[in-house]
Amino acid sequence: MTPLACQIAAGATEALLSGPGGREVDADSLRGTGCAAGPGSGLDPAARVALYLKDPLEVIRALVALDGQVAALLLLSQGLSAATAGQLARAAGCTILLCDEAPQEGDADAEGGAPLRRTPAAVLAPHRRAEPPAASVATQWLMTTSGTTGLPKIVPHTLATLARSVVRLRPGMAGSIPGSVAGGMPIWGLLYDPTRFAGLQVVLQALIGGGRLVAVDTSLPLAAQVAALAAAGVTHLSATPTLWRRILMVPDHGRIPLAQATLGGEIADQPTLAAVRAAFPAARLTHIYASTEAGVGFSVTDGLAGFPLSWLDAPPGPVRLRLHDGILWLRPPVTALTPGQTPGQTLGQTLGQPPGVEIDAEGYVRSGDRVEIAGGRVLFLGRENGLINIGGVKVYPETVEAVVKAVPGVALVQVSGKRSPVTGALVVAEVQLAPGADPETVRLAVQAACRARLEREAVPAIIRFVAGFATNAAGKLMRTG
Amino acid sequence: MTTLEDDIRRVFAQVWALEKGSAAPELLPETVLLETGLDSLGFAIFVSSLEEALGYDPFTLSQDAYYPQTFADFVQFYDRYRPKP
Repeated sequence: MTPLACQIAAGATEALLSGPGGREVDADSLRGTGCAAGPGSGLDPAARVALYLKDPLEVIRALVALDGQVAALLLLSQGLSAATAGQLARAAGCTILLCDEAPQEGDADAEGGAPLRRTPAAVLAPHRRAEPPAASVATQWLMTTSGTTGLPKIVPHTLATLARSVVRLRPGMAGSIPGSVAGGMPIWGLLYDPTRFAGLQVVLQALIGGGRLVAVDTSLPLAAQVAALAAAGVTHLSATPTLWRRILMVPDHGRIPLAQATLGGEIADQPTLAAVRAAFPAARLTHIYASTEAGVGFSVTDGLAGFPLSWLDAPPGPVRLRLHDGILWLRPPVTALTPGQTPGQTLGQTLGQPPGVEIDAEGYVRSGDRVEIAGGRVLFLGRENGLINIGGVKVYPETVEAVVKAVPGVALVQVSGKRSPVTGALVVAEVQLAPGADPETVRLAVQAACRARLEREAVPAIIRFVAGFATNAAGKLMRTG
Repeated sequence: MTTLEDDIRRVFAQVWALEKGSAAPELLPETVLLETGLDSLGFAIFVSSLEEALGYDPFTLSQDAYYPQTFADFVQFYDRYRPKP
């Protein structure tokens, strides 16, 4: 497999990356970034390296320097606490944790099984290699799932599976690539975390596909981020529907000279698609559907929610689609599998589906996404397991219910999602009070308990008191919606 | 009109107090809502609380997608979709 350093698009502009604070990295310097291998460095082909870095440019430099050189790269988000990051690094068998701070005197660096802490300055060597070396190792890329139930899961990928949807652009191809800029290459804006699936897609598209990547400081107010994107002349931008709706509330959003607007990570509804189209009439509008279960996805570019019903018979790409029980099933392309193996045997290992994924005899994978047919479209309704997506943050009702149930005065609780025109959904808790309990006291106690134990998105935005619940034949609360 | 505006200010202050634990900033007609410091989630809770208080949600009722930027835009938007008696 060709390492990432060798795949950086030829003809990439001098300033390939620009990051927070105006820092720039040119293509040659990025290609030439090596790692300080050698005796005692711990960086050998058997090394497993966890990346836990704040600056998106450092994440990208580390990925380029280490792909093909080490056995595994674990991408950890800054959204994870240091303790969780350490736990995940250990779970993935990492030998090195690349982070912003070197170990302090007295840190338990040699604690049993703990990875060695290293900073990029100690590990990444600028211009160390004259030309990128041939791949010595097929590096495993380990991504983590987002979610609020316990420790995030580690999902193994390879650069090939992650870069499968990258489109390789050439200057002058503008006419044939929808959404590309006449005469020039795209300037990609990065608002996502580069260690997450969606952000990494943007990074790989820019590096391999060609163009320039502008990473903004996402800790700044959104108006400042939008101003930075506009000043950098960003032409291609990908964000969740929730973030798009927020961008549209920034008065100067129209100054971003967009040729391509992409929505992903949540269901893109018609009002949001229409609003983005109206705000950026010159831009091509795409919404992305991705299934973690099937390890694949597809994009829709006609500006309408869902996808055309005709795709069930004639899919536009290599992924085959089928509806069964009101659920979308997808059959990944055979090319994604190891030759000589059947889909049923290899899907789990090759694409890293979470365990328990259902695959039928023909190789279709149950996505868990509920759909309905209306007006010649297949529209997405939500997750069959009740998972609530609040602006891209996924919350399991059971996690919230477990916290609410423990509050004195709560007899029964059912948590569900309520549609929100701002964040897609909000968490609603319906509570049946214990005899004699005071509603206002319980409301405050539920809010306090949830704030203390759950992330913000998972805290019920609405608490309703109900007289009782419907139960099914097994006596379980029925989950609807 | 004044009553609706007052209702919106009251709900904004409640949501702000719950989310931020402090007194809400003053809302002038030209205040840009995004710059008040309420994030997406806070804004979603604000819109949902208004729906509980007023009985309607213009974002869901409106056919074309519209994202009010200033407080005056926002009040006008709610006024336009106020159920007619």
